[in-house]
Amino acid sequence: MAEWPASVQPLFVGATLLWSGGLKCAGLSAGRAARRSALRSLVGEERAPAVYRLTGAVELLLAAALLAPPVYAGEAVAAAVLATGFLAYLAYARIAAPGSSCGCMSARPTPVTWRGFARAGLILAAALLGTRAGPWWDAAAGHPWAAGTLLVGEAAALVAFSPEADRRWLYPLRRLRVRLRHPLADRSFDMPLESSLQQLHGSTAYRQVGGLLRSGLRESWDEEDVRVLCYTAEYEGRLATAVFAVPLRHYRPEEIRVALVDESAAATLLVLDGA
Amino acid sequence: MPQPDRRRFLTSAVLGGSAVAGATALGSLAPEAAFAAPPKIKLDPGALDPNFAEGRITGISGSLLRASGSDRTLHRVHVTDGTSIWKLHPTTFDQIKVGDGFYARGVRLPDGSLAADAIWVNIVNLDASIAAIEAARLHLDHNGKRVIGHVVGGRTAAVYGSAPAVADLTRLQVGRHVKVIGAWRPDTNEVDVATVYSGA
Repeated sequence: MAEWPASVQPLFVGATLLWSGGLKCAGLSAGRAARRSALRSLVGEERAPAVYRLTGAVELLLAAALLAPPVYAGEAVAAAVLATGFLAYLAYARIAAPGSSCGCMSARPTPVTWRGFARAGLILAAALLGTRAGPWWDAAAGHPWAAGTLLVGEAAALVAFSPEADRRWLYPLRRLRVRLRHPLADRSFDMPLESSLQQLHGSTAYRQVGGLLRSGLRESWDEEDVRVLCYTAEYEGRLATAVFAVPLRHYRPEEIRVALVDESAAATLLVLDGA
Repeated sequence: MPQPDRRRFLTSAVLGGSAVAGATALGSLAPEAAFAAPPKIKLDPGALDPNFAEGRITGISGSLLRASGSDRTLHRVHVTDGTSIWKLHPTTFDQIKVGDGFYARGVRLPDGSLAADAIWVNIVNLDASIAAIEAARLHLDHNGKRVIGHVVGGRTAAVYGSAPAVADLTRLQVGRHVKVIGAWRPDTNEVDVATVYSGA
């Protein structure tokens, strides 16, 4: 009688392969996932979907063999070989096609990172342990609580190593944390420059001289309840500074004034009150 | 003119009650004037815009920037007193460093250099989704790559939907898609966020 932790490994590996093989064979966007994966550079764009589905079929067959009686050590060895193949594939994807998606266990585009390697490593370790397995139903019946806990732990590790699943558990957790206390809450409530620019761009004054402006925003400063914004303008053949006065704490684009100033001669060329 | 006096002068020019003129002060309103003016842009379809330059700055001498474009074109860009310089803030020439990326718009001079009207240094426009929010930074997923967006006090603004920009970032949410305008920190995956646009 083999040790019970080894005996429940076929259950874990089989369920994992059932999930990933099912997605590869029956997933609605399996074809698209295949074309995004590193298979495209490995076997070519045309053959990628076929190879992708073939891999899925092999995974499903192996899953069925692992889950259903009888138990052969060869099943776990085959799973270990498959897991090693996945590790090699991930290494290839990482080196030869860094921009490609993993395409492993979801149709969601997922770049190959250390988590992908950790996941394949976990499956490999489970499969290797499983080569010493007896029937899993005996082990599960013998140690129901221990076997259940181990399987749940392994499944949790699998999910934690799966970037595809982040949106299901990690993002909600982060959302909850942000809802309890938003990390960006304690900021000052100064009027942002972008807001003054939006007000300026909607104003009559800006429309009137917009055609004369040559530069982007050159500088700005605050004077009590106005924000002053300076641009370079061209007026009657000479370079001038267009000075806009924008209300700082109110949205009143009709109150925006503009002056065209020749700074070299310290002369005001034109003032418009925007009305 | 020293800077405080200059600003006081410019402020009094726009806020002082002097000579307010109407729209006709900007020249003739007759369409003939527009037709008589030579067209400003003469470009063949598909030709490169001569009044634009972009690239990484390889050298700065005086007020001249030397740069290498993304297509390996060599650019020389003159910066004048009238040039606007954006580097997260509207800023000054001395803030431009070798290694910065830039986009410049201006007028091509006969010697092939560009007299810049406006330069945007390290500006980036990212379509991303928020993967995590921490104190003073956003983790952004941009085409499967992680980008760190630093929140800059007094600068970073948020636009929710079509509402006016605000400094309040508490309506940003993990998982949301956002557009980020910011300044890249050269040779890193980090940007300083100027404006973040969120759907709601």
